[in-house]
Amino acid sequence: MNFEISKRGNLLFSRIHPFLAEMIKSVAEDPWEEYPEGSSRLLPPPGTDEELLTDWSDHVQPDLRRRFDEDRSQVAQDIGTMKPGRGKLPVWSLEIPIDHVDAWLTTLNALRLAIVTEHGLGEEELAHKTSPDLSTFHGIALLRVNFYAFLQECLIQGLESRESEIGDQDSD
Amino acid sequence: MMAKPDLLESPETELSEALDLPWMVVVHNDPVNLMSYVSMVFRRVFGWSRERSELHMMEVHSKGRSVVWSGSREKAELYVQQLHSSLLLATLEKTSH
Repeated sequence: MNFEISKRGNLLFSRIHPFLAEMIKSVAEDPWEEYPEGSSRLLPPPGTDEELLTDWSDHVQPDLRRRFDEDRSQVAQDIGTMKPGRGKLPVWSLEIPIDHVDAWLTTLNALRLAIVTEHGLGEEELAHKTSPDLSTFHGIALLRVNFYAFLQECLIQGLESRESEIGDQDSD
Repeated sequence: MMAKPDLLESPETELSEALDLPWMVVVHNDPVNLMSYVSMVFRRVFGWSRERSELHMMEVHSKGRSVVWSGSREKAELYVQQLHSSLLLATLEKTSH
């Protein structure tokens, strides 16, 4: 899989293996539906003050949930534009418009947090100190969390490169 | 493991405000959030430099928490909300003085 900034200034993943393409397509899954326990991590309490907790639960958390859903919907639209190539092993490409990158970062992060919480993945595992056992759901969950972390790192690097390019153009 | 809450207190805190309105925004460690992501969120939410964002991110990583802002409750709530919208573990706490 290759990653670069496209001619149009968007972030482009190309030559995506079909197996990885399937994992990318799963980014738009609804964490509240797929990971009922894990999704609790997505709306953490803001502290211990009773008044604050009530206010948060009544006003802030519904708004955050709505924004997460909007971001996920944006990601689903981008995934819908993924194209397979031709050949025996059709590799895929995905171009993410630069102004959609924040939605991708939030959605990837939400999904990673929900999967980790749901499957009880530990800090040692996340730090790559153990190899995932891919014959188990636990191991597959770890593989997905690590792959999505890789996507996040690419997007952050791409975003920073773009911001630095724009900064250089402004200073010319 | 815990950091002293005022270790990296932000200069935005005004003395009079801190005395009258003792609330602070604390970010807690989470092994899932990427270091680069946390640093980027700090830059965006607080408008900090890369160096300062990384300093706070490292404090969260190594000591388990970092005080990223203190001042009025209303503004602190807004910051916590912004940090939660990026899925960082942030809480609002009263200062101990």
